[in-house]
Amino acid sequence: MPPEAETHRRIDSRGEACPGPITDLALAYRRAKDGDVLELWATDPGVRSDVRAWAERTGSELLSVEDRDGAIVSVLRVRRRRP
Amino acid sequence: MAGKLAIVMFSGTADKFIPLGVLSQAAAALGVEVDVFVTGFALRGFTKKKQDLPFPSEFAGAAPALAQGLKANKVPPWDEMLSRAKELGAKVYACSMMSSVMGLKKEDFGGLVDDVVGAATFLQKAEGGQTLFI
Repeated sequence: MPPEAETHRRIDSRGEACPGPITDLALAYRRAKDGDVLELWATDPGVRSDVRAWAERTGSELLSVEDRDGAIVSVLRVRRRRP
Repeated sequence: MAGKLAIVMFSGTADKFIPLGVLSQAAAALGVEVDVFVTGFALRGFTKKKQDLPFPSEFAGAAPALAQGLKANKVPPWDEMLSRAKELGAKVYACSMMSSVMGLKKEDFGGLVDDVVGAATFLQKAEGGQTLFI
């Protein structure tokens, strides 16, 4: 059976104060599987460092952080730690 | 950052409840195990019957501006932030001794409080993690 396709999920946390965006990311991560891509849109400036801390903590891969359309867009690949 | 965070919530003034909400929610989002132990006047923030939390008198003049700034920045109220932390697994315990001193029983607390426990139970849970005293 072929593996289930990886998904790309967009999370909109624009307008939410810290730690709202990172919480939305954590909730999406719970439902994600290994290899999935999560794209977090936020406006709170704290998100720049928070996504790094979160990626380090969960072992996920931070692919990019960039400014787009007045928001900070972070793209991460979920890496499930092997037990 | 350790895998566990214990927060002793002791202060009963409104300003101190903001970091409680922010830090418990952020830690829970990072996958950290969060245990909050509520004691002292902070217990007043957790009763079913809502009690107004005062601002410390030295900051009373700045309180309206702070409230306005929180609203403008869409910062959720502290209990909403703590609820989100709980959605991610955080636990909240009320101190049994101070609850008795203040005439509060388990049924007097709202849904945020998971249990009323003794200090030793909390210390046992906190062991090996990081502890914050607010």
